[in-house]
Amino acid sequence: MNVAIIGCGGMGHMHARMAANAGLKVVVCGDKFKRKADALAKKFDAAASDDCMEVITRPDVDIVAIATPTPVHTQYVVAAAEAGKHVFCEKPFGRTVHQCKEAIAAVKKAGVRLFVGHVVRYFQEFEAIKAQVDAGKIGRVGFIRTYRGGIMPEGEEMWFRDYDQSGGVTFDCVIHDLDWLRYMFGDVDHVFSQHLQRSTPETMDYSQTTLRMKSGVIANVIGTWAHPSGFRVKTELCGESGMIQYDSAESPIHAMSRGNAGAGPGMIVPSSPVPVSPYQLEWEDFVAWLYEEREPRVTAHDALEAVRIGLAALQSAESGKPVFL
Amino acid sequence: MTKIGMMSFAHMHACSYAACVNQLADAELTAIWDDDAARGQSMAKQYKTTFMADMKKFLASDIEGVIICSENVKHRAMTEAAAKAGKWVLCEKPLATTVDDAKAMVAACKKAKVGLGTAFPCRYAPTLIELKDRVARGELGEIYAASTTNNGSYPGGWFADDALSGGGATMDHTVHVVDVLRWLTGKEFTKAYCENGRLIHKNIHTDDVGSVHLEMDGGLIVSHIASWNRSKSFPTWGDVTLELIGEKGVIEVDAFNQKINVYSDKQMKAEWANWGGNMDLGLVQDFVAAVRERRDPPVTGLDGLRAVEVTVAAYRSVQTGKMVRVAS
Ligand SMILES: NC(=O)c1ccc[n+]([C@@H]2O[C@H](COP(=O)([O-])OP(=O)(O)OC[C@H]3O[C@@H](n4cnc5c(N)ncnc54)[C@H](O)[C@@H]3O)[C@@H](O)[C@H]2O)c1
Repeated sequence: MNVAIIGCGGMGHMHARMAANAGLKVVVCGDKFKRKADALAKKFDAAASDDCMEVITRPDVDIVAIATPTPVHTQYVVAAAEAGKHVFCEKPFGRTVHQCKEAIAAVKKAGVRLFVGHVVRYFQEFEAIKAQVDAGKIGRVGFIRTYRGGIMPEGEEMWFRDYDQSGGVTFDCVIHDLDWLRYMFGDVDHVFSQHLQRSTPETMDYSQTTLRMKSGVIANVIGTWAHPSGFRVKTELCGESGMIQYDSAESPIHAMSRGNAGAGPGMIVPSSPVPVSPYQLEWEDFVAWLYEEREPRVTAHDALEAVRIGLAALQSAESGKPVFL
Repeated sequence: MTKIGMMSFAHMHACSYAACVNQLADAELTAIWDDDAARGQSMAKQYKTTFMADMKKFLASDIEGVIICSENVKHRAMTEAAAKAGKWVLCEKPLATTVDDAKAMVAACKKAKVGLGTAFPCRYAPTLIELKDRVARGELGEIYAASTTNNGSYPGGWFADDALSGGGATMDHTVHVVDVLRWLTGKEFTKAYCENGRLIHKNIHTDDVGSVHLEMDGGLIVSHIASWNRSKSFPTWGDVTLELIGEKGVIEVDAFNQKINVYSDKQMKAEWANWGGNMDLGLVQDFVAAVRERRDPPVTGLDGLRAVEVTVAAYRSVQTGKMVRVAS
């Protein structure tokens, strides 16, 4: 099957590679900037265009992978569905609930398949946590604390720093944990959240959210785009007969460079090599679904619910009130 | 030689404070009074002092200051009795379980012209003193947000009996960090929201996890976890952690993470042995000095009251389901 990449930034590059690893062929790359489409296309010997609608409707395309800024996911999902293509869409599924519903309606009408990249469900460390919980190692889980983030990303034209577009750390980054918590512990009853979303004197965001699940379980979810450097993920689960902790800072390899003189202290990049990237695993899951081998781990409905929870958190932070789902 | 007495060993911190008094060259652990006579006697033996069964006689003695480590709800009555007898008071946290009680304690000590201190030893933890210095030097600039935890293992006994404790983990483990944040920033708390419940331990009847959202003057946002969520298998009793987000940077503190990892077949559980300074000693030392110099201890009853106000607001939020104002 042939893939078109729409949005050739950081994740566009990632998905082109992962789709290829999963046995697909990247045939065309589209981006609003021709130079970005060209740069990615060159790596895969693919065609390039800044007319994304034209890219999507090309007859040789079977799957459209969307990695544009969040507010412009839906328009491409709908266009792809209307052109009869299957769709891989990055998370967050859409910027509004309305957008997500529009996308779901379009794929339903067209009878194509839509997968949303909630990749944390495929991360090996999160899989390991799930396996221990499922095996009953810590008994019934009552409390979870998650932490995700680091330096604030920029993105093309600084779109991550425009809170209207990205939704800040809560909606863009923490949504990974919001989805994973719902995957593990069921639906959310209500949300309380606080955030910074600052633009002066420094642009930074930081968010603190408490989820009350329908089951009564409490989750405290911290997200940072306020750190001067780095990226860190921490997760802690507390059960009636034990605890599980994960911290990405405890990685097996710490590399320090002597080479970047003048660039300040060398950034330490923790690394945890795995046999297969979780981004490849999500592609393999999607492809297996397309070949009718199995249902995927993430459904469009899951992705819509994650958006709902994320928006509820933003609404709570704005209003100072808990928001019920 | 400053004469110190101890009132009740219901709270296990009493043991550490008694040992600290005994360690000081200029203080003497003159007597112990406890409403549980058996406990009082055994503690008197352990800390090489006298047990007095009669509170009146104990307070009529020449003891100059008392350290109160009773069940939370008894703090007020003991503090008022001690103040009336002209004794300086160091009271275990939380100072009280209601704002009225805490205010009454502050008023009673003021009226009797005795000093009242709240046992917030975190202010004496070397790691937190270092943090305070860095914040004071302006390393963070303005502080915008703080995410904190005070997790612990399940203490059992009266701690889980609301009638004696005034509440569960949220009551027990909110005040330390609240005090540290007031001390670091010089700001007061304005709003509180809390989700809590019995989430970890079966067959107990109080909250064992509280997720507390707070605001301080100027909009500083705080997320705090107060819990008894550490399992028996966890290598240590719990933690105090803070992540501070500031204009100029970020500081992450794990206050008691000065540890060695111990793997003993005798224990069959990994353990963290702490080698950091003994913060209780500083607290007790300062109290003894305040008694001797007839002045207020550095961490006052008012500090205790402010922390009680925040905790009480958190519980009020649980009842109303809303973010509430912290009354003062
Ligand atoms: N799953 C993950 O781990 C993960 C990580 C980062 C980002 N993301 C998500 O992936 C998506 C893309 O993020 P990114 O980091 O790659 O951003 P990016 O800014 O690096 O890339 C976005 C690309 O889209 C292009 N673009 C912008 N508007 C467009 C439009 N209207 N039409 C076509 N192209 C357009 C830009 O030129 C850019 O090349 C976002 O939704 C983001 O939330 C997911």
